Amino acid sequence: MKISKKLYSYYLIWPALIIYSVFFVFPALTGLYYSFTDWRLDRETIKFIGWDNFERIFTDKTLLLAIKNTCIFAVVTVLGKNILGIALAVGLNMRLKSKNILRAIFYSPSILSVLVISIVFTPMLRSEGTINKLLDTVGLHSLSQAWLTDPSIVIWTVAAVSIWQHTGFQMAIYLAGLQSISKEYYEAATIDGAGSWKSFTAITLPLLLPAININLMLTLIGGLKVFSEVFVLTGGGPGNASQVVGTIILRSFGEGSWGLGTAVNTLLFAAVTIIAIPLLIFMRRKEVSE
Amino acid sequence: MNDKMKKMATGILASVMAVSLAACGSENANTPSNSNASGSGNSGSGSGEKVTIELAISKSSQDSAFIAQDLLDEFEQKHNIKVNLQLLPAEQTATVLQTKLAVDETPDIIQYNLASAVTDLNLERNFEILDNEPWVARLLNKDVLSAEGHVYSFHVSQDTGMQGVVYNKDIFKELGLEIPNNFEEFLAVCEKIKASGITPVFMPFKDAWAANIWPAAAFADYAAKNEPALFDDINANRKKWADIPEFATFLQQQYDVYKKGYTNADILSDSYDMAVGKFLNKEVAMMFMGDWLIENVSEKDPNMHLGLFAIPSAEGASLGASPLGGQLFVPKKAKHLAEAKKFLEFIATKEIAQKIVDNQGYVSNFNDVNTPELPEYKQEIVDQYITPKKTVLTTDAYMLVDRSELYRLLQDEFAGGLDPQGVLKAWDEKFNQLMKDKGVAGF
Repeated sequence: MKISKKLYSYYLIWPALIIYSVFFVFPALTGLYYSFTDWRLDRETIKFIGWDNFERIFTDKTLLLAIKNTCIFAVVTVLGKNILGIALAVGLNMRLKSKNILRAIFYSPSILSVLVISIVFTPMLRSEGTINKLLDTVGLHSLSQAWLTDPSIVIWTVAAVSIWQHTGFQMAIYLAGLQSISKEYYEAATIDGAGSWKSFTAITLPLLLPAININLMLTLIGGLKVFSEVFVLTGGGPGNASQVVGTIILRSFGEGSWGLGTAVNTLLFAAVTIIAIPLLIFMRRKEVSE
Repeated sequence: MNDKMKKMATGILASVMAVSLAACGSENANTPSNSNASGSGNSGSGSGEKVTIELAISKSSQDSAFIAQDLLDEFEQKHNIKVNLQLLPAEQTATVLQTKLAVDETPDIIQYNLASAVTDLNLERNFEILDNEPWVARLLNKDVLSAEGHVYSFHVSQDTGMQGVVYNKDIFKELGLEIPNNFEEFLAVCEKIKASGITPVFMPFKDAWAANIWPAAAFADYAAKNEPALFDDINANRKKWADIPEFATFLQQQYDVYKKGYTNADILSDSYDMAVGKFLNKEVAMMFMGDWLIENVSEKDPNMHLGLFAIPSAEGASLGASPLGGQLFVPKKAKHLAEAKKFLEFIATKEIAQKIVDNQGYVSNFNDVNTPELPEYKQEIVDQYITPKKTVLTTDAYMLVDRSELYRLLQDEFAGGLDPQGVLKAWDEKFNQLMKDKGVAGF
């Protein structure tokens, strides 16, 4: 035991620790401090103002709408990306001739820049765009929508685009998970007379839990921190209809309310931590080993 | 051993942080005295050795006449001062400049817009008052360079750019249309254009700011003719935006143009960058925009005949004048204050200013520099609006805070979320908050 500890000296932690402190811990702590101040573009002095910024966040209608939108986006994308991701992974784990090419196709959107996605989707989602034309052609005119300009559905549209883009990435992680499950379980289950749904729920899902954990974490954190999809597709509009916490931070900084912007940022950080860590612990407990 | 090391690491880390936090705090307290010291300390420097001054400018303004290479070379030759350019990414110009000013990495000269400098860069605190510069006495129009009663910026042009209805003269001629003098006439013109199969008005309201052209001119025209002190009252919280029923009327007018079907169908999906193409293809006849659009269209096709008339919100309304843009500013904390001012003096000399004004087709702002022959549309604006004094500075010139929330509220009107009175009420609320944050008296 003693020998193994001496193999690498504890000093080796210093470079990483210093870099981590200077570039993460220190800025995070200063951020925490600034979120309790009235730090502004046109103030010469910075004053400590207690919880005022946070009080404002929870009384400002736009900020509340942004929080609501962020939650909708997070929940919808977590469900969409993971359910579709598992379905795709299971499908593409079967013996298909075209499975490699299909995997590549489903994965490819996630390597595109979100700007490219916006340039492709914006014209498609116009009210006389491809998607509505397609719906018209198949006789579903009643379903056609002003996807990006109707305030009541815009956040759902953005979430759908995000699901389209990232599902392939989640699929790749699930595929890796699936391949670590031994074929013998399935053979045994078949002999015992289990159908494919039964073996999916009794074997695949429990043994896939580590992959599901990782994916839930990644999609949830990504969903709560959403910024770029909203920014490039709608800019938070029309009006403020699709503002999310990420775009509100940008807006606050743009208005010169730096303290408020930092407060929203702190809140987002806290929310991500408070939601993600218990979830992680809960899911860990559920994991089973082979 | 291990535990001891851990304790040490934690202790050192904590003290490092404590020290740096303390440093941050004291820096803030020092700032005001610092700026004074550097202001007086640097003005004496003018010795023989070569000085390099830094000029920060947005990448989107890199065609600015003030940074043409031959001009900078000539300046370097004559005065032995080199100008180093800092090109800032266009969409981050404000943020980068705010940061540079905040952390004392100040450039010696900045090119920016005066109106935005008031809201974004804290003009009074950060920039030199230029009232006593030698070129000020030769200015024809001090106002376009001034804020709070002082000259803060430099430009050789006084042509601020005009905002109104950009229209295709050829389409008007073909259909036998006259320039409308009030809102009813404007709707009649739209009806006739629509009947001919052309979209009367292009509204690219995906870009929320484009929805502000109509109200910015209409509000200002109303205030100038009916309540000259209105914006002072609003900025002192003696009046609210929603108190003026005419403002709601003007917002309703713009909405009616859309509701009556005189615009492109998907106004919230179309963006400003499509405008030039729409005019070149003769798909649209009019648009509420600035005369810079005319310039952009004629660059692509010199045979297009576009003109500008006043937003027809009221009988005989004045043409909106944008606050002048692209001025040069000297920060108080500039490391080479005297040299920076010398650069402005150099551009202001009769020969240099004349050359720039000629090349750019500017309306000269110096009494000894002649305005060259202007493009047709500009000459028309000068004859019909500027000379008879039928122009009015748009609301933008009076706004002391960030306006982007107003733009978003205007956009929301077209998304169906707010009615005109609702827009004004919501803006009052936001405006009040922003003014309070800024520390303006009365809020």
